[in-house]
Amino acid sequence: MSQTVKQGASPAAGHGTSHGMRPRHPVAGTLAVAGYVVMIVPILFVVATAFTAGSTLRFPPEGLSLKWFGEAVAYTPFVEAVVSSLELAVLATGLALLLGVPVTLAIHRGRIPGKGLLEGLFLSPLVVPELVVGLALYQQLMIGLHLDNFTTLLLGHTALLLPYAVRVTGASLALTDPALEEAARGLGASPLRAFVTVTLPMLRPGLISAGLLGFVTSFNNVPLSLLLQTRDFRTLPVTMLDYVQQSYDPMVAAASTLVLAATVVVAVIAERTVGFAKIFGGINR
Amino acid sequence: MTTPAAELVGVSQRFGGFTAVDAIDLQIPRGRLTTLLGPSGCGKTTTLRLLAGYSAPTSGRILIDGDDATRTPPEKRNLGMVFQSYALFPHLTVADNVAYGPKMRGVPAAERRRRADEALDLVGLAHLGDRKPKQLSGGQQQRVALARAIAIRPRLLLLDEPLSNLDARLRVQMRAEIRRIQSETGLTVVLVTHDQDEALELSDEMVLMRAGKIVQSGAPRDVFPAPADRFVAEFLGYENFLTLADGRQAAVRPEHLRIVSADAPAGEAVAFDAVVRDVAYRGVDLLVTLEATDPGGHAVRLLADHRADTATGPTPSAGDRVRLLAPEARLALLEPDPTPTEGIS
Ligand SMILES: Nc1ncnc2c1ncn2[C@@H]1O[C@H](COP(=O)(O)OP(=O)(O)O)[C@@H](O)[C@H]1O
Ligand SMILES: [Mg+2]
Repeated sequence: MSQTVKQGASPAAGHGTSHGMRPRHPVAGTLAVAGYVVMIVPILFVVATAFTAGSTLRFPPEGLSLKWFGEAVAYTPFVEAVVSSLELAVLATGLALLLGVPVTLAIHRGRIPGKGLLEGLFLSPLVVPELVVGLALYQQLMIGLHLDNFTTLLLGHTALLLPYAVRVTGASLALTDPALEEAARGLGASPLRAFVTVTLPMLRPGLISAGLLGFVTSFNNVPLSLLLQTRDFRTLPVTMLDYVQQSYDPMVAAASTLVLAATVVVAVIAERTVGFAKIFGGINR
Repeated sequence: MTTPAAELVGVSQRFGGFTAVDAIDLQIPRGRLTTLLGPSGCGKTTTLRLLAGYSAPTSGRILIDGDDATRTPPEKRNLGMVFQSYALFPHLTVADNVAYGPKMRGVPAAERRRRADEALDLVGLAHLGDRKPKQLSGGQQQRVALARAIAIRPRLLLLDEPLSNLDARLRVQMRAEIRRIQSETGLTVVLVTHDQDEALELSDEMVLMRAGKIVQSGAPRDVFPAPADRFVAEFLGYENFLTLADGRQAAVRPEHLRIVSADAPAGEAVAFDAVVRDVAYRGVDLLVTLEATDPGGHAVRLLADHRADTATGPTPSAGDRVRLLAPEARLALLEPDPTPTEGIS
């Protein structure tokens, strides 16, 4: 009985904030509220200006209209950039998971020497400045190996997401009893079948959270995408940055609002299907 | 004699420079319950994992039903293992957990279901098939793990400290339960435990281990009254160690030392004088601590149970000079200890 309680309690202990929406500590509480205000208020300004009937990015908006949304959706460079960004984010996330899961398994379950080194190696892209990575990829892959710019970007984004994939799925794996796989083997499952029927389901929350995190990271990335852009392949953030430098109309605000709305939809689906506590519960480990 | 259900021949397991299992020879008799008993860290789990195929021995051979299985992977051994953590699949229902083994063997769905029900019935949990493992108590989870292992109709059932996570009362109930299941199924069972009472109560055959080696094995009735050496004797609850007049070592249990008045006759017992140092009241008896010079001439500290209802002598109290009688038949003669200073574990 006590064991059941312990199992239930330990994952919750890692993310006390999920219960602590009303922190008892007054200073911490105030800071938290201030933090939310600083983060959210500017976003509200952007959303508000997107609905303006006027033609400048100004607050308060002049009148109410949806015309800038119409403009944004009809603006070919944005539409093309959304497709490019989605393509890149989906492929890079998929690749990062495909590479990251075996690496995670090797780190946590394998009998290989120098596991610490391996783990360090796969987390290192987190600390190397992205501009440097971007420049290196530009020099070596695009100029040196004549790879096209999409392939180079894909490789760059995959490298960028790999640490998340390894870290987040690793957190999931660390929470599962290694005896589960052994039990499956003892019951007659081959190593592959044990992995598919037991390990993979245990990794599901980790895979979903690594996938979401990777997708969002890739979709929002600017430094790599900026360095490796070409005329015919640009991601959405880069295109929007370009646009803002030339004109200052509310279409960019409308585009941002649409991206925000899409993100919220994804978040809600994630919360409904897996739950944030489960998705992000493992990250703190 | 029939072939043993399993056999370890000169099996060793080293981890780096450390030898966890040291050239063990062991036969597991068919259709019986064998326990591996020993203190924590003596290599019991390692031995069980070698049998199950979760690791390959550094040297030696493992035979199952007489066939060499040393390099056979666990999925091909057809052994049912119950892990100390139970290792139930948390994403599957109880019934699906139990049906997992038959499923991996390609048994059709209806037959799987039937076998799972049958195994759950055997452990008294037929009504909980639709629950998830999390929704069960520790004792129920343990039964599910047992049912899951039995559902594959294993050649051996391997249990690693199956009762150690249960509370004291449940633990004693489950001993009877395991005996019942073993005799109903006729399975060959190997059970690991560090609890001598559990081993004595459950075993057809008990195997005592120490530091990766087997120190003694046999039926509880044979092992208990005749521990081979001081280590086994201590592990089985012998508290008193004496040197006899001829220099041999002997062990005797507190309940077999009789306290009589200083001038009582010795009869068929080894007798020697002692002084009572302490008397502790324990309800059914008194636990008496004494200092004595044993027949070999060494000063020893002894513990004796004194039951007022069966004792003949006076009730001892601290400071009394008394005579201690150790009946010859109750003395367990020990092999001389080869390494008296070596620690346990
Ligand atoms: N995979 C391993 N690597 C290194 N040492 C191990 C490993 N497994 C067990 N040991 C060591 O071997 C010894 C015996 O372990 P074990 O068989 O688990 O003991 P028991 O089950 O009797 O308590 C212990 O000292 C343990 O630390
Ligand atoms: Mg053990």
